[in-house]
Amino acid sequence: MNGVFAHLTPTGLGPWGDGMARLVLQPLDLLLLVTLVLLAVQSARPWMDRLGLVLPLSWLLGGLVGLGVGKEWPLALPCTALVTVVAMVVSLGLVLRIGDRLLLGSTAGLGFFFGLAAGSSLAGHGGALAALLGEAVAIAVLTALLLMALAPPHPRWLTLGLRVMGSWIAASGLLMLGWQSRHPF
Amino acid sequence: MAARRRPLALAAAEPQDRARHDEGSCRPSVQRRPSPLLPALVAAVLSPAAAWAHADGHPGGGGFVAGFLHPISGLDHVVAMVAVGLWGAVLGPPALWVLPVAFPMVMAFGGLLGLLGVPIPGVEIGIALSGLVMGLMVLFEIRPPLGLAAVIVAAFALFHGHAHGSELPAGSNALLYSLAFVMATGLLHLMGILLGETRRWPGGRRFVQAAGAAVAMVGLWFLEQALR
Repeated sequence: MNGVFAHLTPTGLGPWGDGMARLVLQPLDLLLLVTLVLLAVQSARPWMDRLGLVLPLSWLLGGLVGLGVGKEWPLALPCTALVTVVAMVVSLGLVLRIGDRLLLGSTAGLGFFFGLAAGSSLAGHGGALAALLGEAVAIAVLTALLLMALAPPHPRWLTLGLRVMGSWIAASGLLMLGWQSRHPF
Repeated sequence: MAARRRPLALAAAEPQDRARHDEGSCRPSVQRRPSPLLPALVAAVLSPAAAWAHADGHPGGGGFVAGFLHPISGLDHVVAMVAVGLWGAVLGPPALWVLPVAFPMVMAFGGLLGLLGVPIPGVEIGIALSGLVMGLMVLFEIRPPLGLAAVIVAAFALFHGHAHGSELPAGSNALLYSLAFVMATGLLHLMGILLGETRRWPGGRRFVQAAGAAVAMVGLWFLEQALR
């Protein structure tokens, strides 16, 4: 097991609960979620409301494909790189220069890719499907809560805070990339 | 300066004054208070840190606590990062947030280089110089253009990041280590900003200049050590 794509940690709540807990215990999926929410609330466009639907669904679809593959793919490095790039977009405030379709497509693509990584890492576990569904529900709930809490318009300090948070995630991702290069899993 | 003080003056004004101010605006205010859910969500998002803090099976390796303590374990790093916030406060917006955003990103890039084994000459001298130079900037309230200030801070961040990256231990919770590491750095910047904001108060300007002088002295001491 590695810290980037942790397999299931037993919580005593069954596969469903293990899957929900995986989101909290598995930082990279959580970082993707937070980063995409930051991206969405910066854009202040109607599609922001769709993020709560697009992200969990694309993630679940990717997860199902990953489960179907039946073996673990080494996707930690590209996933870290993707989170880093998106977080840089957030921190630099470049989102206003990106078109709606590209934003929506990127969100769906990222959700699918991360779901694929999660699904392939869960393949072979007992109750993998229930765990996958549990994590997808957790993603949907947390995304909705974050979107509700961070919905624009923002006070000035929060606008800056969102960018700072993006820069922190991007910086963590950069360090993580170096780490994974030095200590490949 | 007047524009920066206006909200404070408004906050201190009587309620009827504030109402008059709102009536005078062309459109109704669209700003709203952040949701009370926010603190709970922040706590929820940070909860993995608590969950994993004691799950580190690598003594001295990469957990949240180890990552958080790493940047604050060296005085040379601490003073430089606080100085970034102080200088940002002296420069005012937008440098107030541009510098603390630029520093962690470039520092992490330096860390990436360090982790990849890419050598940067004179890292210790660069770190010592960062404290000295930024301390002097705060002391003399030097206000270069924003781009130049960002380049100066970024250049020094590269040295700090390289040193940190070279020291990062192997561990299973690498991402939590990195996150905590960056958060600690950001909080040091925030401490500098808050100290710098005391310039609004009587005597605050002298206090910030004194803090800059202290940072410069520490930087000078480390420079002398590095050049030995």
